[in-house]
Amino acid sequence: MEFDFAVITDHARFLASGVGVSLLLAVLSGATSLATGFIVALLRLYGPRWLKPAVVLYIDSMRAIPVLVVLVWTFFALPIVTGLTMPPFFAALLGLTIHLAAYAAEIVRAGIESVRPGQTRAALALGLSRSQILRRIVLPQAIVRMLPAFGSLLSITIKDTAIASVIAVPELMRQSETVAGQSFQPIEVYTFAMLVYFAMLFPVTRGIDLFYRRVAHLGRS
Amino acid sequence: MTLDWSVVWQNRDALIKGTATTILLTFATMAIALPCGAVVAVLRLYAWKPIRGLATAYVEFFRNLPLILVVYWAFYVLPILTGLGVSPLLTGLAALALNVTAYNAETFRAGINSIRRGQVEAAMALGMSRAQALRRVVVPQALRRILPVLASTWVSLFKDTSLVSVIAVTELAYVAMQIRAQTFRVLEMLTAMAAIYWLLGYPQAKLVDWIQRRYAVTE
Repeated sequence: MEFDFAVITDHARFLASGVGVSLLLAVLSGATSLATGFIVALLRLYGPRWLKPAVVLYIDSMRAIPVLVVLVWTFFALPIVTGLTMPPFFAALLGLTIHLAAYAAEIVRAGIESVRPGQTRAALALGLSRSQILRRIVLPQAIVRMLPAFGSLLSITIKDTAIASVIAVPELMRQSETVAGQSFQPIEVYTFAMLVYFAMLFPVTRGIDLFYRRVAHLGRS
Repeated sequence: MTLDWSVVWQNRDALIKGTATTILLTFATMAIALPCGAVVAVLRLYAWKPIRGLATAYVEFFRNLPLILVVYWAFYVLPILTGLGVSPLLTGLAALALNVTAYNAETFRAGINSIRRGQVEAAMALGMSRAQALRRVVVPQALRRILPVLASTWVSLFKDTSLVSVIAVTELAYVAMQIRAQTFRVLEMLTAMAAIYWLLGYPQAKLVDWIQRRYAVTE
């Protein structure tokens, strides 16, 4: 059994482009999931009553269906419904957002609900409007409390981008498959990919931990 | 767009078999990952220092890797490591078990650590040995806190079994995508696949919510 890691340096640029696509997809889908999740959570908490069952059904469905299935459906089946074909990257962004926004919404809801109702009542008594209370009293505390959960959501997002390889998004996992297939050195290539993913993910989980410890006092009340 | 849903019914046998494999994989992985996770957690908490470091490294490594990559890696490395031809099902099981063991180990560790030290000290002051204090004081309380987390790990695992389809394990996702490729009924098969996962996963997600409400920690 001999290992030859020259295959990595030979394809360094190709693999690096995959890292770039992985990071771009993770950052974009992280941002869109967060924004969508905020809207979904606010709809669930403060939206019209008839909308709530639909929102809850959406959130619980995404907790029940694998992200692979959502991605494959978005890429292969959705164009049949809409008549529009999508490039893989965009389909992955859309599929990941549909899936992860449900998780983000649950985090936002839990954060908002963790702020004691007495504070809202006190603010109402002081004459603040509902939107003022949300903006100036509830959210500033809730967001700090959401941070650790958002950190793990970000690391889940990075991990889930690897599944986009199934719909041929040229991110690190897909590029590694290509190099492994061409060079017949899967062990070297996949071991290298493992180290790269670990190097991307570990600082994120640790960084969020450290950051949260510094700002945790802002969320206490 | 003409849809022909009869393709789903015609392939019901394959789909049922695939679903059974998905469920089997979920149970088998958990059956391995629960005891292994407990062992790793105990090693991480109480073992000799270098072993502790190894256990920590294992947990941190596998928690910070995409599962799909572990599946591919196992697919190529296991045959070389063992010198045997390992079936895709066993390879997928090994990859899932490596991943879930790491998560369970972290869950057990956090659960044990969540019980205040004073309780062990008090138990030892009453004449119990350290092992007795763990077994009779710490573990019974920790289990109540661990159960909700294990439940959500279970649902994640159920969904993650779909990832072993990339190494041709004939579970639900692989079977559905195979039928799609053979019949070209893309929308029908992919929707049926999503629907079956939903039918199985939705009650599980609801059950997790119930368990989390039932065992919520109130300080």
